[in-house]
Amino acid sequence: MKAISPRIFLALSLTFTLTATALPALADVVIVVNPKNPVANMTPEQVAQYFLGKSTTFTPVDQPENSPIRAEFYKKVADKEPSQVKAIWSKLVFTGKGTLPKEYGSSAEVKKAVASDLNAIGYIEKSSVDATVKVIAN
Amino acid sequence: MKFKPYLGLLALPLAISTAYAADIPDGPTITISGFGTAALTRASTDDAEFARVAQLGGVKTSAGTGVDSNFGIQATAKMNDWLSFTAQGLVRKHVTDEFGGELAWAFAKFKVTDNLNIRVGRMGLPVYMISDYLNVGYASTYLRPPVEMYSQVNLENVDGVDAIYQSSFGESTLTTQIAAGQSETKGNGNSYTAKFKSIAGLNMVLENGPFTVRFGHIYTKFSVDDSAPLNAIVGGLNQFGFTSQANSVKIHDNKATFTSLGLTVDWKNILVQTEYGKRKSESVTLPDTSSWYTMFGYRFGKFTPYFTHGSVKQDSPRTVAGLPTAGPLAGLTAGANAFASLAPIQTSNSIGVRWDFNKSADLKIQFDRLSPENGSGTFVNAKPTFQGPVNVVAAAIDFVF
Repeated sequence: MKAISPRIFLALSLTFTLTATALPALADVVIVVNPKNPVANMTPEQVAQYFLGKSTTFTPVDQPENSPIRAEFYKKVADKEPSQVKAIWSKLVFTGKGTLPKEYGSSAEVKKAVASDLNAIGYIEKSSVDATVKVIAN
Repeated sequence: MKFKPYLGLLALPLAISTAYAADIPDGPTITISGFGTAALTRASTDDAEFARVAQLGGVKTSAGTGVDSNFGIQATAKMNDWLSFTAQGLVRKHVTDEFGGELAWAFAKFKVTDNLNIRVGRMGLPVYMISDYLNVGYASTYLRPPVEMYSQVNLENVDGVDAIYQSSFGESTLTTQIAAGQSETKGNGNSYTAKFKSIAGLNMVLENGPFTVRFGHIYTKFSVDDSAPLNAIVGGLNQFGFTSQANSVKIHDNKATFTSLGLTVDWKNILVQTEYGKRKSESVTLPDTSSWYTMFGYRFGKFTPYFTHGSVKQDSPRTVAGLPTAGPLAGLTAGANAFASLAPIQTSNSIGVRWDFNKSADLKIQFDRLSPENGSGTFVNAKPTFQGPVNVVAAAIDFVF
């Protein structure tokens, strides 16, 4: 293949690396379940299973698509960018094997959903935690 | 079929800006989602056409949209905690030279336990590691699934039942799928119907962190009874007393299997995807083949350059033994041998880049260099003078909603 010379390819690659590293400021995100849920704590890998369609034991509750907390959450539990998460779900959704986690508009709504569903698992800012939910991972 | 909803459907994602979910109190939750690829593809030759499996025509030196473009739309109605219905329509150029609509999937899914789901209806058949998302460009790194591997079995769905069982061991997940049913596919230009009865499939996927290992095995008995050229050769062989050769060329209730092993790695920024597959059949007209490919990619933020090598070869003899190669029956022998050498022999190297320019769309550019051997490989409508290698270039936008 003569289409792209190695030198140009390397230059392009470097440009991509340099432009891709800017990160937004992070808030503390915690993983929460219903207070009646017997689970006391979880590893990030376990949490990721529910949000990436690998297990349906708990029902994941998601934040809005473009919210910074959502990007931070997936980075934290699965080390994935939003587009990677989307690509993973696109492998599951179009077979009917999985359905996307339901989205709620804010941490307050996520809390309400988790407080009303024994099986729900969600994530919110640490500052939003109150007695209606139980923190199982930081 | 004069059904051409393609352009109309393309406008839909603009109307439905994000996944649309309607909640009716105490009623079903209905979710509409979709995927598509808008692509332009061109090749460096006018002596043959570059196409995907089962496409009647492809592209030559003038660019065309038909090879790599498609559009799918899916509706799921979740009735309650344990029952849902899913239907998916797919528009693409397949066995005819026009974009046509297909009912890809339509099934009811029963959640028996947290770990076990049973589906009944028309489902995707897990032939390959990527069968679940073979038509969803956005789900893959490359622009087009390697044509060498994915030309071996042109059977995408099954009418029947399947069971999917998920089990976890520590941080590993094993998904086991068993499918049973029947299906049929049309030959190029609707020239024949291949009927697959008693299909049985096993699909096992083991996931651990960045690694996914997948094993699949498909068994079927199949028949092609209405192919005029095939029937002419079989009839001729019988007429001149070559009964055993006639029986080996014809396709009637013949056993066929496809076995494959795949691995994907998605570790930090490194992507590896590889699959090896072997096709075996009792009929020489569906020759035995083996194929593999490996893709390496590296993620630089939103850009993922990748390289893919693919290969397919025929394992069974490309001639039918015991037939006269000279004399008045040489033409008949040539006809029988044409069926015995129907499998492509080809290697290819591809480089490309995926750019995730939007949260639910990507842009891909891919260059392929394909080297068919001993025939026209995966190319269609080849002139007798056709010779590789051929360069192919394509640009595509994939989207999901």
